[in-house]
Amino acid sequence: MQQAGEQPTLMAKPATDGLEILYVEDDADAARAVVELAATHGDRVSWEATGEAGLRRAGMQSFDVIILDRMLPDMEGLQIVERLRAAGLDVPVLMLSALARSENRIEGLDAGVDDYLGKPYEPEELVARVRALHRRASGQAQGAVILFGAFECHVKARTAFRSGKHIPLSPKEFELFRYFMENAGETVTREMLLRDVWKMNFDPQTNVVDVNIGRLRRKLEDGFDKPALETIWGAGYRLTRGE
Amino acid sequence: MPLTRSIFSRLARNAILVAVVAVLLLGGVTWATLEQAMRRSLEENTATDVAGLVDIYASGGRAELLARLADRYEVEELDGRKTHYLLAESGKSLAGDIASWPSLNPATSQRGFITLPGGAAVYARTARLDENLDLLVAREYSADRAAQWRVIAVFLVAGLLVVLVVWWIARATSGSLARRVAHINALFRDPGESQLEGLQQLPAEPDEIDELAANSAGTLARQARLLRMHKHMSDNVAHEIRTPLMHLDQKLVKALAANPEPDGTGPLSQARKDIRGVAGLLDSLLDIASNEARRGDRAGLELINLSELLEQLAELYEGSFEDAGLGFQTQISPGITFEAEPMQLSRLLSNLLDNAIKYVPKGGTVTLELAPGPRIHVRDDGPGVPAEKRESIFDRFVRADKSDASGHGLGLALARAIAERHGLRLVLAESATGAHFMVEPM
Repeated sequence: MQQAGEQPTLMAKPATDGLEILYVEDDADAARAVVELAATHGDRVSWEATGEAGLRRAGMQSFDVIILDRMLPDMEGLQIVERLRAAGLDVPVLMLSALARSENRIEGLDAGVDDYLGKPYEPEELVARVRALHRRASGQAQGAVILFGAFECHVKARTAFRSGKHIPLSPKEFELFRYFMENAGETVTREMLLRDVWKMNFDPQTNVVDVNIGRLRRKLEDGFDKPALETIWGAGYRLTRGE
Repeated sequence: MPLTRSIFSRLARNAILVAVVAVLLLGGVTWATLEQAMRRSLEENTATDVAGLVDIYASGGRAELLARLADRYEVEELDGRKTHYLLAESGKSLAGDIASWPSLNPATSQRGFITLPGGAAVYARTARLDENLDLLVAREYSADRAAQWRVIAVFLVAGLLVVLVVWWIARATSGSLARRVAHINALFRDPGESQLEGLQQLPAEPDEIDELAANSAGTLARQARLLRMHKHMSDNVAHEIRTPLMHLDQKLVKALAANPEPDGTGPLSQARKDIRGVAGLLDSLLDIASNEARRGDRAGLELINLSELLEQLAELYEGSFEDAGLGFQTQISPGITFEAEPMQLSRLLSNLLDNAIKYVPKGGTVTLELAPGPRIHVRDDGPGVPAEKRESIFDRFVRADKSDASGHGLGLALARAIAERHGLRLVLAESATGAHFMVEPM
């Protein structure tokens, strides 16, 4: 399962196919939807309906990512995280909950949750978040130069190239480009961008993120025929190989 | 450490001051009383002596008087006061141990405290025995004076001891009172559940401060309970509404898989969008309620760099203003910190910036300004808001433009609730042109 760590540092795309996921959720319909969604992406979901059963399962088997509901019949999802962490398990945890206000998110992050997604959710967004969590947790080190398809990101020099041509970017645009390069080939959601690039944890009512992506896209595509960034409907964006 | 002047240290200082003044006052009164007693005794003594000598002169004449005066020097004084005499005729000494007549008039039997030519301090009394024959009796009082000083010394030592005791008691009492009140203040600043429990139990013999502590702890515990209940209720409402919404959404996702709507504008996609809208509306309402409930509650606040937060927001919004054909200027004082929930403050400000993008026509300019205080201004040169609507736009479900159907009309109500949760007020200030939103301390 841990092929990612063995990749050379210049390889940006970690292998995340076939993740082992534990989902603790008392709502059978909700659970079924996630199981089916995961299956279409080649991931396997083990479903448990109570906190106790989930904790037991997490102790017996190793998972790449754990998805938790909050309002379980026997305990609060946050308690599960606390007990997992107390037991020394640092599996990345995504909280998937109907308690989705910023107050609830802060509680989740304080309890040791790695990511938080509100219900109802975009299926593709859930997939993207789970994959990003796994990528982050498997922690492949990035070198001074990240390569992906026709793109080059020189981290130290803060310069970007496409097919050897220098692309002038503003500091923030470079941050955005670097984030896409670090998550090359994967879907990056608006919330991930806001959180990781702008260090903001809230949901703006206007399309500010799209506007910024639009600017980056124009610069990356200027003078080239093939697109650089594709929009994943209902989820976010993905960097193409640009070749 | 103390930010306030301690009422207890002032009480202690005053107690010590009163003790010192009382000791000095009592010392003064004692001195005066002793002085008076000494004077009376000297007066009586000399008066008796003079009267006796006058009698002797009257019955025995000058010779007898001279003989008796000579005898007087042989007598040991019982009261330790040394006596001096002078019998003079026309100012010339006939007998006695005083060199010359002092400045007392014998014709009027003058008396008083004087210093003899030899340097001795005495109380003297004069009498005219006959024409040109004058008598003076003087008594030294140094022994009385010494006794007086001894009494005062004892008094001062005792007084000093009293002051020290008062100082010690005042210090201990005020220290303990200050500690107990500081404890109550700390509770108000940061109420801890376990401490609240403990303080609500009154000791066997409670005093006023125990009662104050118990009442404060009770109020704080009640407030914490209400906040918890409010939170619990909000979470339950969110859960009970969002869960069926999610089921509905999942059915729509399945239906969409069977009947794709590639451009995302078909009825199924629209229905999913509406579901998002309802969920957003619910969150905004619950967030407004939560921010209102937690007004003044410091839990959850952290010290943040407000300047950096605004810079980040400005960077995020720059492109949107440009795309909307608006000028965007910032004037952000660096290094301004503030105790806040950063996520909430970002929402407040993004609501104001979103509003500007929505309502300021192409070609306009929007300014974001941060000054110490903190004072945040979002100004534009758009159509502005008529004076009579400047308050009502902060009400729930009110839109500045009735024809505009986007949004729920909760943005400004939420922004105001967030401001007030942080001890700030959000107002639409008077401005000649456009709108001027101002966030400033209450």
